[in-house]
Amino acid sequence: MSSVLQSKKKVMQKAKAICEAMLSDLEKAQRPVLTAVKCSLDNSIYNAKVGYFTPGDKMVRSELNVSSVQKLSRTIFVLDILLNNLEIDAVNTKREIYYMTKGLTINGEHKSLDFEEQSECDSIIDYIMDLLEIYREEFNCFAGDRGGQTYSQQLVVTEFLNDGEKAVVDLSTLGTMPYQPKNKPQALKLKVKKKVDFCLVVESEGTANTLVTMGFTKRHNCILMGAMGVPTNGVRGWCKLIQDQLKVPIYFYGDLDAYTLQNIYRTLKAGSAASLIRNKDFSAPEVRFLGLLPEDIKKYNLPYRVVKENNPKEARALKKAKDALKNDPFFQDKKNKKLTQILHFLIKNKIRCEQQALMSVDPKDPLKPEKIIIEKIKSGSWV
Amino acid sequence: MADQQITSSSTAEYFAKNLQQVGFSSPTKAVLTTLKESVDNALDACEDHQILPELHVEILKLGPGGGRNTDLISIRVSDNGPGLKPEDLPRVFGEYLASSKFGRGRCSRGQQGIGISAATTWAQLTNACGVKVKSKTSAMKKAVSMQIDVNIKKNQGIVKNKETFDWDRKHGTEIEFQIDGRLQSKGDGGLFTYLEATILVNPHLTLHYFIHGMDDWKRTERVTDVVPVVPPSSLPHPHTMKLGEFITHAMAFGKTSLKNFLSKGFSRVTPGSIELMMKNGLKKTYINKSIISIGEAELKKVFAAIQNTELPSPSTKTVLTVGEEALSKSILRLGEIDFFSVLTRKPKVCDFKPVVVEVAIARFKDRPGDADDSIQLLRFANRVPLQFDKGGCAITKAAESVNWRSYGLNQSKKSLPTGPYVMAISLTSPFIKFKNASKETVDSSDELVEEIRRALMQAGQKLAKHLKREQKAGELERKLKYIEKYGPILVTGLVKILKAPERRKDKALKGLSQILGRDTELAVEELEVADQKLEALESEAS
Repeated sequence: MSSVLQSKKKVMQKAKAICEAMLSDLEKAQRPVLTAVKCSLDNSIYNAKVGYFTPGDKMVRSELNVSSVQKLSRTIFVLDILLNNLEIDAVNTKREIYYMTKGLTINGEHKSLDFEEQSECDSIIDYIMDLLEIYREEFNCFAGDRGGQTYSQQLVVTEFLNDGEKAVVDLSTLGTMPYQPKNKPQALKLKVKKKVDFCLVVESEGTANTLVTMGFTKRHNCILMGAMGVPTNGVRGWCKLIQDQLKVPIYFYGDLDAYTLQNIYRTLKAGSAASLIRNKDFSAPEVRFLGLLPEDIKKYNLPYRVVKENNPKEARALKKAKDALKNDPFFQDKKNKKLTQILHFLIKNKIRCEQQALMSVDPKDPLKPEKIIIEKIKSGSWV
Repeated sequence: MADQQITSSSTAEYFAKNLQQVGFSSPTKAVLTTLKESVDNALDACEDHQILPELHVEILKLGPGGGRNTDLISIRVSDNGPGLKPEDLPRVFGEYLASSKFGRGRCSRGQQGIGISAATTWAQLTNACGVKVKSKTSAMKKAVSMQIDVNIKKNQGIVKNKETFDWDRKHGTEIEFQIDGRLQSKGDGGLFTYLEATILVNPHLTLHYFIHGMDDWKRTERVTDVVPVVPPSSLPHPHTMKLGEFITHAMAFGKTSLKNFLSKGFSRVTPGSIELMMKNGLKKTYINKSIISIGEAELKKVFAAIQNTELPSPSTKTVLTVGEEALSKSILRLGEIDFFSVLTRKPKVCDFKPVVVEVAIARFKDRPGDADDSIQLLRFANRVPLQFDKGGCAITKAAESVNWRSYGLNQSKKSLPTGPYVMAISLTSPFIKFKNASKETVDSSDELVEEIRRALMQAGQKLAKHLKREQKAGELERKLKYIEKYGPILVTGLVKILKAPERRKDKALKGLSQILGRDTELAVEELEVADQKLEALESEAS
């Protein structure tokens, strides 16, 4: 049996076990109780040996009573839709699920369950995932998030389809077009035609595309990926897959600012508090921070910008960075001391330096950024 | 210029020409001011003699008035007060500044002796007839009735048509003005608003009233038999005096030594504070000298030394409060009330004057109003309703400065909150600083506004508790509905997922109703508790 089918069976069993427990409690006139992991920073444990956020022992307990009866009814209502989807191999986005609930509530017997806003339906979907401790994708419910835009002359990806068929994609045949995997890492198998030296994840997909167009992947045996800002589940799962299946060093290259360190790099490396149950499969703890580093500013005489504290967005980012130093277990861990030092540097100096600043080093040489990146990898100039 | 003559005018002449300054600026205001002055006098007289006041107020439209767009209005106010001696009547009603209260530093309603004489003048100017008075003191066998006009040139009362008659009461006064005016019953400046406001801050008052247009007389009973005692005035505080006042005050002490003058002529001056004054420039050699021997020039230096010396704040014993209990009872007389919150602050010294702030906030069941309309703000100074020039008043300023949203009321920025609420704010002080002689607006100092604001915030906290309780009751009701709505859907959903047989569904539904039945009972109990608490609060007050 393929891993996809195993996963489907596992999900259905888990869901039905919970429903069975609820129904038999009700038959005995006992209150059913649902418990789910509390997904928040105060219940996140970071252990450098594990490498990603794992859940603490705090649970969210929902006992059936006047306050929870609506939530539990909605949970079972949406669970039924999801299980049905899984059974018939239908695939949906969260928004589509929201409209399916609309279709069932407009005139039907479940009118009182109607979700006024999609966000209400989304939070029930998330609650079901926390409850069953599974990924939304295992329920065939996908967000619009795709894996990073990936380029390589060596990588070959095999996708196992729901119908038992296989699709094989050789990335070298795609020219300068990116390969963007679906967020279902368990359905993918990676192979390389020739030894790959490293994987480079670039924060900006535009910069990644420039590197590829200028021949980066032709000159280096590597995998190049555009992270597209804050990494989606797709990007995170894809990085994890590359890390585990290919065992190549992964470098992250992005802006030198608090936002990139906290929201992009940390999420890629250790996952997030909101997805505690997913982090195991959706974080790549071995990813290294290639830069930009504070010392790069001096070494390459890079232009930088001063953070404007009267700009609400920038002021918020600065405050969040300060909070992270205080509350985020990732930055409190000794192993990440150097990253913490960078955060301190950024808060103290109130500056930010963008990844594209490498273009300023020698504007006449379009390959200069590539040369610097390779130089940094070779010389070990990363955290 | 040289041939122009300088003439003197009497006080009466001045006010006769400037009646707008004392509340007679329009026919509508004239009616309200006349009523106000009459009621204030009656209530003050009753309080001075510890009599529980029972007032009859009758306002009638008699026909067209003498002036354009006016009606001839009769305002009759009758009280069970001590009555006035016949010889005092022309002075009280026909002479300006003839008052038993002028500058006495007490929290009485009337202060100067202008209002009622101004009403007589208005009646005389517009209807050629002053005030008709009936009066009887307990010492008089027969009552006396007379008409009193104002001799404007001489500032004297003129008695006309004096008669004696048998009156079926031991003592009391009845006055009737017939004036040109216009009736405004409702709204901020309305007669009903005035009467309701007066009822609110006078729990000891029984009021019978009939205003043109009503079907019948209305009677509102008193809710307390305790007549408020207006505290006696205290000696002046040196820091509230100006130099001229100080010298005049000193001269009245003549041969008294400066030391004795300072300790007996003022409040809050102790031997310790005289020592401090000496450190601040008061010459030691003056201490035992008589006031006369010191002389005005030196008194100026004494005054400066006093002003530079820290003294204890003036006493707050001279202020009068209605009290939370009486206010709670009184507010229930105004209509069916959903809930209310009353608060009496401790007396406080603001701008070197003792002051006490009291607040009552109520939501009436029978006055739904528009949710977007501002609340009805009732302002009081020494228990007299202030009904005009709301905008410039310290009380309004304070009410607008509070963030009522945090107490559950709707409010736009820097304005009064909205909703079907009545907010009564009463300020009592022997020295209220008004912006004008008609006493419609309290002058705002930062200290006073802050004190009122604090009172409102405390009352707001009480109000928020009520609103939260109400909200809780609403929530429980909503939850009860949830049970009926969602319970069966939950069971149906589970049965569908598990493809369970019908008998399991029936069993689960039974189980569910048992569980939720327990919740329903609990919710009902909680609702009952909430209701009981509300009822208890209301009955506490009644």
